[in-house]
Amino acid sequence: MITLTIDGKEVHVPEGTTVLRAAQQAGIHIPTLCDHKHLVPYGGCRMCLVEVEGARTLQPSCTLPAANGMVVYTNTPAVQEARTFVLTLIFSERNHFCMYCPVSGGDCELQNAAYGQGMTEWPLQPNWQPYPVDGSHEFFVLDHNRCIMCRRCVRACAELVGNFTLGVQERGANSRIIADLDVPLGESTCISCGTCLQVCPTGAIIDRASAYQGRLKDVTRIKSTCVGCSVGCGIEMIVRDNRLLRIEGDWDAPVNQGVLCKIGRFDPLTNQGERIITPLVRRNGALKATTWEEALQTVASRLQAAKGRGSAGIAALASTRLPVEALYYFKQLFADKLDSGIVTSIEEGVTTALPGWVAHKLGKPFEGTLDTIHKADVVLAIGVDLVENHQVAGFFVKRILPRGCKLVVVDPYDNGMHALADFSLRPKKGTDYDLLVGLMQVIASLGRVRAHPIGTHDLTRHTPDNVSRITGVPAETIREVGRLLADAEHPVFIYGKGLTRASFPTALEALLDLARMAGALDDNRSAVIGTKGQANSMAAYLFDLDKAFDLKGHQVAYLALGDDHPSARLLEHVEHVPFLVVQASYASPLTDRADVVLPAAIWAEQAGHYVNLEGRLQETRQGLTPPREVRSNAAIFQALAETLGITLEDNWRDAMQQRIWISQPDVCR
Amino acid sequence: MRKLKVASDWLAGCAGCHMSFLDIDERIAKLVELVDLRATPITDLKEPDENGCDIGILEGAINNTANEEVAKRMRERCKILVALGDCAVFGGVVAMRNFGTIEDALKRAYVETESTDAEGKIPSDPEIARPTRVRAVKEVVKVDVAVPGCPPDADVIYYVLSELAQGRMPKLKDELLHWH
Repeated sequence: MITLTIDGKEVHVPEGTTVLRAAQQAGIHIPTLCDHKHLVPYGGCRMCLVEVEGARTLQPSCTLPAANGMVVYTNTPAVQEARTFVLTLIFSERNHFCMYCPVSGGDCELQNAAYGQGMTEWPLQPNWQPYPVDGSHEFFVLDHNRCIMCRRCVRACAELVGNFTLGVQERGANSRIIADLDVPLGESTCISCGTCLQVCPTGAIIDRASAYQGRLKDVTRIKSTCVGCSVGCGIEMIVRDNRLLRIEGDWDAPVNQGVLCKIGRFDPLTNQGERIITPLVRRNGALKATTWEEALQTVASRLQAAKGRGSAGIAALASTRLPVEALYYFKQLFADKLDSGIVTSIEEGVTTALPGWVAHKLGKPFEGTLDTIHKADVVLAIGVDLVENHQVAGFFVKRILPRGCKLVVVDPYDNGMHALADFSLRPKKGTDYDLLVGLMQVIASLGRVRAHPIGTHDLTRHTPDNVSRITGVPAETIREVGRLLADAEHPVFIYGKGLTRASFPTALEALLDLARMAGALDDNRSAVIGTKGQANSMAAYLFDLDKAFDLKGHQVAYLALGDDHPSARLLEHVEHVPFLVVQASYASPLTDRADVVLPAAIWAEQAGHYVNLEGRLQETRQGLTPPREVRSNAAIFQALAETLGITLEDNWRDAMQQRIWISQPDVCR
Repeated sequence: MRKLKVASDWLAGCAGCHMSFLDIDERIAKLVELVDLRATPITDLKEPDENGCDIGILEGAINNTANEEVAKRMRERCKILVALGDCAVFGGVVAMRNFGTIEDALKRAYVETESTDAEGKIPSDPEIARPTRVRAVKEVVKVDVAVPGCPPDADVIYYVLSELAQGRMPKLKDELLHWH
């Protein structure tokens, strides 16, 4: 521990702590601009200058490591003067005009810093050099006139997202933030995660959708969870007048620590389609608006008639985007009470059924948490494209690559991660098992087995040369990757649909055995991560909603779609169903085909719980009030149950303990 | 106590700051107990007293030779000069013109305007003021008090004037300090 004195206050901090962080811990405010608690200290703006006893000049506290006996003053006249001077230079460098800037009035850190110094004006006028404005991006605008070159965006793009799109060109007054080799942002390698937008301290990067629509003091911020995929990132909904203005990443969220992807940040604000705002019933061939009472009665009488008739009766499918509460009601209603022929999720457990089978065989969860990626030195990703899906998990991988982490990508298909990989392996379809056993063979032949596999694999037959013949992957590559895994201190294994889609578990079991041999999986810890599917695929699995379906022969199909969008495949499935009920938020070909449509709330209009891919139970909160006739998914099941004279239980927490979890942060990390 | 004489004028601005001044509503009665409102754009007297005023207030940026003249006269005749609003303090919206040339601005205003039906003509009479680069008031004359805001709130203006009227220099901070 280090002991230093800041403004007469004795402060104790661990070695390596900067003076700025030490002051913050002690509750002493030092104004900053380029500093961000989730970025590496940069020392670019000089706002945080402090006086240190014995030092020749003022020191930037953000990059100054605290030392024993250090005496620091944060508020002397010299410091105050320096701060105002720094701001004077920043204001005069470009064209900062608060009167027509959307972040003015509370949201601008530069303006707030000037207010903090009591500045009523700029001592120096700008030189009226116009800087370009890049409006080429779909979601945000980059206005160089308001940029203070703090490089937060550049650092966030690299350090948090690992995308390295943003950089700086030129020197001195000509320095400018650029995308790639100075191409318009909209034509660059930008993946629209919007992290730069979230860290920008001024109005240099502004959100197209929410600019000029409400200052900090006019809006409500509601913490919630993204339901875009199974990662379950923490978000903040920025709401004004029952309108979702913007979504920001929650810096304090355990899963994502502030980072979001395009799917989480921007997609929910783009037009998702026409809302269904009233119950609809088919009359004389056309869907007509009706009352809840009539719609529910119609559905109930059909369900009553088809009840208990097995595969000639009811088929019920739910989206894995529905909250836990809704999924549990759904399961009780259709499986336990109505004895339906099919009760499952639209996802059919394609990402959870196999891992679930393995978890049951092991008798406990076997997957680890996403934070194991942060310290990985080798990541092997198999059958998963983290550039396309579960992107935030992909950011975690991408951002550690410059630190020397090696990436091995195994996927016969085109996969955005192949381009980033140190080893890009494309085994022939269906040969994953052989490849994985081949890697085990290399580790075994090096005598570097850290834990023995549970399954029996024919290692002698799986020499690199043999495996190469089977898989088409060069023998030398297999040897190199095997050696890499044998040498790795923190190998992490990430698998996805590509591995679990197969109908037999051998490849997954081989992956787990490889992880064991490489020291990534034992009784106490796991660095094996399965990406699962949509936001609540884990919960669907826990409620047994993970079986494959075939709707043929069923009299009534009930599709609880929520705010999900139906796939073409789903449409084919329902084509010949005699009576189709769709519970949905948006109009779609599926609702067009339905006999009854029940209007459901979207994610932001209902509160609920979600189990993310790590097995973390998280909450979503209601940020918006739904249209008058629209009900939450859980409320619709409840109303339907009431109409049928059925009572539903609320004990979803207990019900989730019936099956063995695939991953559970408290049990397995 | 002698009432302080206050004069105001507007330069290149939108008159919004003076409107905001009027937004002090009934407090204006209290203010005139403390000060003698002399020449303003909204009173009959159009120029600050030749024998001087105590407080001069200028709204707007300096945009042409006429503005320069008004600013210099106000400075000469007033003990304390207040720059009222973002245009006077910084250049403001008016200063956006500085990003182009004066020629382009004149062409846009008199020739290329959508409503110009006949052939447009840039006025060149020697009697009229010549446009200049847009400047904050302080770039032309010394300013004693900067009151930013677009416009400054009525509360801010009332605070500034009542402080000055009572012989104190106003200190804008916290709620009273805003640049937008």
